[in-house]
Amino acid sequence: MTRTPSFYGYDLLADKARNLKGRLIVLEGTDGVGRSSQIALLREWLENEGYAVATSALKRGKLAGKGLKEAMRGHTLGDTTMNLLYATDFADRLEHEMLPALRAGFIVLTDRYIFSIIVRALVRGADPAWIRNLFSFALVPDIVFYLQADVSNLVPRVLNARGFDYWESGLDLLPGRDYYENFIEYQRRLLAQFDAIANEYGFHRIDANRSMHAVFKDLQTEIKRLIADMKPNRLALTREAGSELEEVDQPGKKNEK
Amino acid sequence: MATLPDGRTLTGKLIIVEGIDGSGKSTQLDLLRKWLIGEGYCVAYSEWNSSPIVGGVTRRGKKKQLLTPLSFCLIHAADFADRMERQMLPALKAGAIVLADRYMYTAFGRDVARGIDRGFVRRLYSFAIRPTIAFYFRVPLEESLRRILTGRPQLKYYEAGLDIGLSDDPYESFKLFQSRILEEYDRMVEEFNLTVIDATRPLLEQQDEVRAIVAPHLRNVLRIDRGGWREVLAAEGLHGRYLQDMIQTMTPEQDQ
Repeated sequence: MTRTPSFYGYDLLADKARNLKGRLIVLEGTDGVGRSSQIALLREWLENEGYAVATSALKRGKLAGKGLKEAMRGHTLGDTTMNLLYATDFADRLEHEMLPALRAGFIVLTDRYIFSIIVRALVRGADPAWIRNLFSFALVPDIVFYLQADVSNLVPRVLNARGFDYWESGLDLLPGRDYYENFIEYQRRLLAQFDAIANEYGFHRIDANRSMHAVFKDLQTEIKRLIADMKPNRLALTREAGSELEEVDQPGKKNEK
Repeated sequence: MATLPDGRTLTGKLIIVEGIDGSGKSTQLDLLRKWLIGEGYCVAYSEWNSSPIVGGVTRRGKKKQLLTPLSFCLIHAADFADRMERQMLPALKAGAIVLADRYMYTAFGRDVARGIDRGFVRRLYSFAIRPTIAFYFRVPLEESLRRILTGRPQLKYYEAGLDIGLSDDPYESFKLFQSRILEEYDRMVEEFNLTVIDATRPLLEQQDEVRAIVAPHLRNVLRIDRGGWREVLAAEGLHGRYLQDMIQTMTPEQDQ
C-alpha cells in the first residue's frame, strides 16, 4: 500500500518521497522523559513481530552529526547557526536514512523529529515564522507521540542517566550557573512550548508520569492500529544482497564515532 | 545604512559584492578594502563559506559527496549565520565597514539553480542584515568562462554542478550551471536593487566607479588613526621591520 506523502510546507523532497511503503513513527518529549528506552522496547517488539525496523535520532547523521556535537561542545554557537546545523543534520537523515527506509517498507522509529528543535528555538526567541519555514520540507509523520511528564519526574531520570548537561539546563540562555535551578526552569519553558505547538502539529499525547510499562502499552496499542494493514516481512530482516533493501543498510547502524 | 530585518539601522556600513565565478568581484573588493584601510577606516572582511565552526561539515560533505541540494543549501546558510552572528553583526554595531565577498544572493543563485524553491531560500535568509550597497559585477557568460577555463583547471564536483546531473562532462556541466546562476542574478537585480557594475570594463575604471559609489556612505564611520606608529618610528629612529611583518599577516589571504 502506498500513500500520498505530505509536507509541512515546501515539497522540496517530493521526488524522494514517492511510494513510501513504511511508517514513520516519531517519539517527542523533553529530556529524561524516556524516549530512547521506549524506542528500544518498541524496536524489539516490532522486530519480533517480523517487521523491519530502522531508527534515527538527532545528531546522528553522517554529514553533520559529528560537526554539530563538536560545535556544541565549544559553547560558541549562535542560536541561528545552531538551528541551521540541526536542520542540516535533520535533512541529511531524512534524505539518506528515513526516506530510503520508508520506501523499502521499514517502520522508522525516530527519537525526536523537528519538534524538539523548533521548541528549543522558540524558547530562545527565534522568529516563529522563520523556524517553521526552516523545517517546512519535513515529511509529515504517520504519528507523533508526545511523551509528557512533569519536571519533578524528569529530574531523577536525568540524574540516573547522566546528570545535568550544559544545554539541557539551558545555561546558554538562562542567567546564573546553577545546573539544577536552570534545568527546572529551562525544562518548564520547553514544556510550555511543546504544549503551545501540540495542536498545530497534531501530537498524540502520552502521559509519561506513569510506569515505563504503562507508557509502552499505550504506544503499542496505537502502533498496532497504525500498522494493521502492513504485512510483517521476514524477508526484510535477511537483507538479501542486491535487493532494494541494500540502500537502507544505513538506518540501523550507529554512526561512526 | 545597514539595516536589520526588523527595520532598525546599524551604525556601520555593509558593502557586499556578487557575481558569477570569473566576474572579477573579489579583485575589486580587495582593491576597495586596501583603499579604505589606507584612508584609515575600520574595515572587517567576511568571505563566503569561511566559518571555522561550520566549515568542517561542509568540507566533509563535499569530499564524501554527501551533500544534496537541500543539505547544500542549509549548510551554507549555517555558515552564513555563524559569520553574521559572530563577525558581521558585532562589527556593524561597532560602526565599522564590513566588506563581504558574496552574500545571500549567492545562495539565491546557486540553490535555485540546484532546484530549491525561490521562496524557501529567501525566507531561510530572512535573518540577514540588508546591505548598504550590494554590487553586482555583471559579465557575459562567455567572458567569465574564458577567464575561468583558460588553462583547463580541475573543476570540483559541486563547483561544476555535477551533483545535479546536467551533464557528465565537468566543463559542459559548469557552463550549464553558471548560465542558470546568471539567469537568477539577472532576476535579482531588480528584486533586490543590486548596483550593477559592468565587469567587462578595465579593472581600474570599475574600481573608480565602485569608490565613487561608496564614498558618500563614509561619513561618520569609525576610523582608526594609523599615523601613530609612523610617529614613533620617526621620533625613535626605528625602521619598523617587525611592524611591517605584523601588518602583512593581518592582511587576509587572496580568496580561492
